[in-house]
Amino acid sequence: MPPLLLRLSDIKKSFGAVKALKGVSFELRPGEVHALLGENGAGKSTLIKVITGAHIPDSGTLEISGGIVSHLTPTRSQELGISCIYQQPALFSDLSVSENIGLRLEKNGPFGKVNWKQRHKTAVALLQRIGANIRPETHVSELSMPEQQLVEIACALGSGAKIVIMDEPTASLTRSEQELLFGVVRDLRTSGAGVIYISHRLEEIFALADRVTVLRDGESVCTRSVRSAAGKNELSEDELIRLMVGRDVASIYPPRESARGEVILELQNISCAAGRIRDINLSVRAGEVLGLAGLVGAGRTELARVLFGITPADSGSIHLDGRELVVRNPRQAVCLGIAYVPEDRRRHGVILPMPITENISMAVHSKLFPAQWLNFQRERDLGKRFVHALGIKASSPDALGGSLSGGNQQKVSLARWLATEPRLLILDEPTQGVDVGAKSEIHRIIRDLAAKGLAVIMISSDLPEILGMSDRIAVMREGRIAEILDGASASAQSVMSAALRSA
Amino acid sequence: MSPQTRFIPKQLLRQEFLLLMVVLLEVGFFLCTAKNFGTSDNISNIIRHSAEIGLLTLAMMPVILTGGIDLSVGSLMGFCAVMFGVITHDWHVATPPAAALTLLAGLLAGAFNALLITALRLPPLIVTLGTYSLFRGLAEAITQGTKTYRSFDSDFINLGEIHWVGMPIQAWIFASAALFFYLLVHRTTFGRSFRAIGFSPEGTRYAGISVQKRTALPYLLTGITAALASLLFTARLHQARADAGMGYELYAVTAVVLGGTSIFGGTGTVHGTLAGITAIAVLSNGIGRVPAVFKAGVGGELAALLTGALLLIALTAPGIGNHLAKMFAKDSTNLEKLKPSVSQHAQKTPILPS
Repeated sequence: MPPLLLRLSDIKKSFGAVKALKGVSFELRPGEVHALLGENGAGKSTLIKVITGAHIPDSGTLEISGGIVSHLTPTRSQELGISCIYQQPALFSDLSVSENIGLRLEKNGPFGKVNWKQRHKTAVALLQRIGANIRPETHVSELSMPEQQLVEIACALGSGAKIVIMDEPTASLTRSEQELLFGVVRDLRTSGAGVIYISHRLEEIFALADRVTVLRDGESVCTRSVRSAAGKNELSEDELIRLMVGRDVASIYPPRESARGEVILELQNISCAAGRIRDINLSVRAGEVLGLAGLVGAGRTELARVLFGITPADSGSIHLDGRELVVRNPRQAVCLGIAYVPEDRRRHGVILPMPITENISMAVHSKLFPAQWLNFQRERDLGKRFVHALGIKASSPDALGGSLSGGNQQKVSLARWLATEPRLLILDEPTQGVDVGAKSEIHRIIRDLAAKGLAVIMISSDLPEILGMSDRIAVMREGRIAEILDGASASAQSVMSAALRSA
Repeated sequence: MSPQTRFIPKQLLRQEFLLLMVVLLEVGFFLCTAKNFGTSDNISNIIRHSAEIGLLTLAMMPVILTGGIDLSVGSLMGFCAVMFGVITHDWHVATPPAAALTLLAGLLAGAFNALLITALRLPPLIVTLGTYSLFRGLAEAITQGTKTYRSFDSDFINLGEIHWVGMPIQAWIFASAALFFYLLVHRTTFGRSFRAIGFSPEGTRYAGISVQKRTALPYLLTGITAALASLLFTARLHQARADAGMGYELYAVTAVVLGGTSIFGGTGTVHGTLAGITAIAVLSNGIGRVPAVFKAGVGGELAALLTGALLLIALTAPGIGNHLAKMFAKDSTNLEKLKPSVSQHAQKTPILPS
């Protein structure tokens, strides 16, 4: 048996207090397509970065082609024949395709001289090999996203890589481009290279992969063959999903209050091309927490951005309290009683160099200061009230947002929107990167708000949170609502399966 | 607690305070060396000569606070001066309505900048670099590069000469403008939004504030202020010329930055800006009165040289101060105490895996 191309044993990696990888083992044989599967945040990206040398693991060993490599750097990993194709192509957009390929593959000649003829030839040959219909002299900025991805793949092929990593390569590809890609993957396999293939589309894994390794919470759960020697499928979709989510849902969530009021928000056939969401039909009642589940990129944040007027809808109708309305910008959304606690709190949720009180009062300027004249006393009172009510831990209400921990920043962001006394509260990943204590406090606050008659939409990639908090769960997949489940009876299995399963 | 607070009180490192020291040093030095520096005549003189730049500087401050810049103010002053000449001399309009029309022209020019910057989302540096040439070019086209409008109403000329309650008129106009900008920046939601926009336009938008409308306002104000400055300029020199305000935009930016406003936006105070204006105004007046011994043979250009040096020192002093404080901290036994606070901070902001 030929030696393994790659072998990772017991790899651990932490970022501050967050343990991203807690002992992952993985191997790749020559001529194998090995799929890597896991929920959002299971540790796939971190693992890939360990293999490409972008992250140095805290412990564990890394063997490449039979030899232990202790200090891997991105340059070293390329020399060892590892090539990675990311979701977002990293090409120079003002250079031509052949220049990009040349920059990746060519060694410097004497005096940095470029052999343009040779460069052109190489590019033509590589593009032909993957069957891409792209002219080498085209500027990358003129290419579509999938075409750029094909150029990336050409680079990987041209480098003669023995280990090719593909991170959700089909996310932006059309059907025919997917077929091209699958051809390339099979081609690589026959030539004896190994492919690590990451995808959320289970059907692709069944079509391409020889083996699957499932990651969960930073650990490798198991590695299984997709087909038996006789060519029969050994795994089912159900089994894979169970392996991905298989854990207990902690029962630390506050009890659900079942007093649901009238419909606050009703969406009919909402579509938005910029946000890539289509035909959204959804309603939320007063006192209800609607969980919005789905994979990263399924369109959940995009839906929130439509409701908050950041990228207004192209078509469809929004009814709030039974009145049809158009939300054109955030300013208007605030006036209508829609609040959005954004996902990226450091960029959008809190203005870090400004004090807590000023952050909290930002969305209520016109209510608090009707003549646009600042009243510092009223502002401080408002700040103190929320610092107290939400238990924000800070040296003083005048402490800068940037001096707070993640959980407390999140509470400031939440406070800003509670101060507007909204009818509809949209929370985007409200507990991402928040420590456990603050997390359960935020959950309690959300529950209290619902009990007071707010309609709450909670976007979350944290399955236990979705299951523990939601009265109903809307699962999104590829820009649409795939399924709406009852919160009390839904299971991790049923949510994941709705998020993943091919239609 | 950051390391430097232990050795030097933070207040002393504030740029406003440092600058106040600089102004006092300047005044002290010139009182001892310069001829007639401390006379009331000279003080009026300083005010009269720096009122126009001072007004532009005040108006520049909120622009820079939003993270923008307006390089067109000096040229706009030239354009407005010429417009005032045209309106009074060629259109034979009486002085008060002509002045009002001039202010309107300034406002419209400012609105033009604002429109390009907010509606078309072009970078302020590029837009106002364009209008910098455009406004001056218009002024020169109207006057054919040579024409100067002279002979204005004596009432209007008086604006540049007379005193009111012991101070030149310009002092009162400048003081009102300073009060206006102070209140705007520090006491209204407008000023608050300027700062927020300077820190993070996207974050401000997510807070439901209409960033475009709020960003437009400071450019309207620089427009109207440039027009006002052009009227003072015309009254002081008794003539309206296309080269009014030549190079003033850079003086204004220098004074604002010297006054502690970050060129990237977000931080800064109007009182700091006032100190910045004063430091430059006193310096350029005093240098002209110092005997040749002190000028080291550089002559009249010394004011510009010192202004530049002052700016660079003011910008680097806090950084050097911090650096020294850190070095001092390393040498002392406080190093151990500093360590946990650093690692705590690192834990608070983990680089999360995607």
